[in-house]
Amino acid sequence: MNTDKRQAITFPAIITLFVFAVFPLLIMLFNSFQNDDGTVGFTISNYLKFFSKTTYLKLTGRTIFNSLIVTIISLIISYPLAYIMAKKLKGLKNIVMVLIIIPFFTNQLVRVYSWLIFLQDGGILESILNSTGILNGPIGILYTKTAVIIGLVHAFFPYMVITIYMALERMDNSLIEVSASLGASAFTTFTKVIFPISMPGVISGIMLVFVPCLGSFVEPRILGGVNGTVIGTVIEDQFFEIYGWNFGAAIAFILLAMVLISMAAISKLGKRYDI
Amino acid sequence: MKKNIVAKIYVILIMLYLYVPIAVLMLMGFNKSRYNSMPFEFSLEWYRALISNTTLQKAALNSVVLAFVTGIICVILATLFILGERYTSNKLKLIFNSVSMMPMSIPWLIMGLSLLLLIRFFALSKSMFFVTAGHVVISLPYSLLVLKARVNSMDKSLEEMSASLGANAFTTFKRITFPAISPAMIAGGFLSFMISFDNFAISYFLMPAGVSTLPIEIQSSIKFGFTPEINAVSTIIICVSLICLAVVGLIMGFSFKTIFGGNSK
Repeated sequence: MNTDKRQAITFPAIITLFVFAVFPLLIMLFNSFQNDDGTVGFTISNYLKFFSKTTYLKLTGRTIFNSLIVTIISLIISYPLAYIMAKKLKGLKNIVMVLIIIPFFTNQLVRVYSWLIFLQDGGILESILNSTGILNGPIGILYTKTAVIIGLVHAFFPYMVITIYMALERMDNSLIEVSASLGASAFTTFTKVIFPISMPGVISGIMLVFVPCLGSFVEPRILGGVNGTVIGTVIEDQFFEIYGWNFGAAIAFILLAMVLISMAAISKLGKRYDI
Repeated sequence: MKKNIVAKIYVILIMLYLYVPIAVLMLMGFNKSRYNSMPFEFSLEWYRALISNTTLQKAALNSVVLAFVTGIICVILATLFILGERYTSNKLKLIFNSVSMMPMSIPWLIMGLSLLLLIRFFALSKSMFFVTAGHVVISLPYSLLVLKARVNSMDKSLEEMSASLGANAFTTFKRITFPAISPAMIAGGFLSFMISFDNFAISYFLMPAGVSTLPIEIQSSIKFGFTPEINAVSTIIICVSLICLAVVGLIMGFSFKTIFGGNSK
């Protein structure tokens, strides 16, 4: 009896979450089955519209592709850094760690804006490249897919550095020595010993980069301009420009489904390595 | 030896990628050109302009107040939740956990517009109440994570002992639980403050017309033409975040020390 009374203090948080997080999603689901032309009643026309138009399907493909590219680039640049931090840097390790964490707490808009200034025509990168002779003329990188990828990698790769670092840090260094003393080459040691052990970190890193990338809309909009259209920006347009709120709700649900499916798939992948 | 130098160069390159654009942004706040273009000419013009820009000052005040209220509410909700959660059944615990962490995995874009749809569904109008509710929901998981780490490592028997010695629930909380978790409450509050202070997506969808926060001002200055003061504002925002982060670091570091000191006695 006493136990029941004490658990009641969880209710304020739980009620807040149900009212302002779970319930709104249910309303969004309801809206996604309503028509935008004012007719009342249940309809699947929003979903039909999305899946019958190649524009939207292409967009979905592009969003997934973008997120994949960002995840792969993040993995390629994060792994060596995490490895160096875990195994090579001694005292500097903590400083590098802090430097990796700080960007989490700098405003997303500020970061995107800083890339905008950095990459723009007539900006500082252009004048550096021109003065060193690498480039002649305008740089023309802003408002391209490349700019979006650069911005998204910048936003998310630190998560991956941290998860991989934590996995590598836990690893027993003697395993590497044993592998080497048994005659394995550095490459074999990496593929057979180090990489499999770091796999849980790699998987959580993939989760923390790929999933938020799917739902990004600020970086694609600001750095990509018209070339940055992804599902997130289309949803934003439905709400702020086109006023197709119910259709927007349907796309948002499709995005949510993509997020949940990829989370489930990635964590299933992770189970294989969790011993 | 050679390998170590390669490793260090690699680390430096990554740090350049992380920090050069932000450094350039800060530098451009002191550049005379209003289009952030070269050549660089030192000027305090934009900081001076900031003093007379009431729109940005109002936005800054809104950001701080909103983040402060969000932080306070998050700490209260998170503390109650974490303390109460220990007495729930395992099944309920699982449900509670996934609900409380949900706003962390769902894109904020979706969280923001689902709240917008909620407002429309009940034919209400946008207000600061919903903005705050949205900020609380997305910041709460961060307070929860910090507090959970502390509460789970806390010795439950102290509370039980206090109760068995006749202290009521409130006294036990005041004398035993609160002193043990207060550093985590402060750190969790700062963390939620930062999440709210930096948030753009939720505010963007829910802010009533005519009200803005700093992230919204930055976005509109990008969208509708540059306000050169934005560089100066951004620099200030970064400094605020850094100070908050330092405070969290100091508190958590300090508390860890006191915890270990206390245990070793």
